[in-house]
Amino acid sequence: MSFKQISMLVGLALAICTPVQLSAHHAFGAEFDPNRPLILRGPVLKVEWVNPHAWIHLEVTKEDGSKESWMVEGGTPNTLLRRGINKNSLKPGTFIVVDGYQSKDRSNRANGRDITFADGRKLFMGSTGTGAPKDRSDPTDQ
Amino acid sequence: MPFKPTGDVRHVMQFVLDPAAAKIWRSAGSIITEAGEQDLRPTTDEGWLAVQHSAVVVAESGNLLLLPGLARDGEDWQEISLALIDVGMRAKAAAEAHDADALFDVGGQIYRICQSCHQIYIQGVTKVNPLGG
Repeated sequence: MSFKQISMLVGLALAICTPVQLSAHHAFGAEFDPNRPLILRGPVLKVEWVNPHAWIHLEVTKEDGSKESWMVEGGTPNTLLRRGINKNSLKPGTFIVVDGYQSKDRSNRANGRDITFADGRKLFMGSTGTGAPKDRSDPTDQ
Repeated sequence: MPFKPTGDVRHVMQFVLDPAAAKIWRSAGSIITEAGEQDLRPTTDEGWLAVQHSAVVVAESGNLLLLPGLARDGEDWQEISLALIDVGMRAKAAAEAHDADALFDVGGQIYRICQSCHQIYIQGVTKVNPLGG
């Protein structure tokens, strides 16, 4: 039996022990609506500093004064770090503005493109190469 | 030499690679709230061993993708599949060493490889550096 065949059998044997779940990694078009751009403003509530996408939760105040929580998908933590965004810059309570696109299911989830901080810094927070609209946010996708 | 694939590339993604990669991704990083920071690294030997299992599945997914009938070409596809094997083994080494920082970095590398492959073979981007940042 060749190495390649042994590798295949080992891989399949391990795979059948692994439960099936939804993929955390997806194309933009699988979850988000390019026709639903939005701007979210509010303080950070929670940050999920995880791969493959960091998630920023923020509290948005609606026109009627009520508040609701939104979660915004960003790029990988490593790519955010390279752009100048880290855990400290996203501490709970930090006021941010996020430009992005709402999820197709109309839930309070969005794909983030630009994030703007109180000092005026505006940084691209999204993932490159996911099929998101060419909206000039991604400096590598002009 | 005979072999018997059980499905196509999408099948390998759904049932082999995606769940294993997700296990690695969920095993490093942190959740930050007003109450503090929660570290996601495994807290037991059994937890780290489970990450090793998933890391080997990621590596072996690279071998599966090189099988005749699944491999798309001998160029980028081959390079990406081999990179998947390497990064899977790096994840295994990180889990063996209980090194959450290394596992976190490897998690980002796994995503880059996935993304490069999808750009080339789903979105039709003609040239991507599969191992680039």
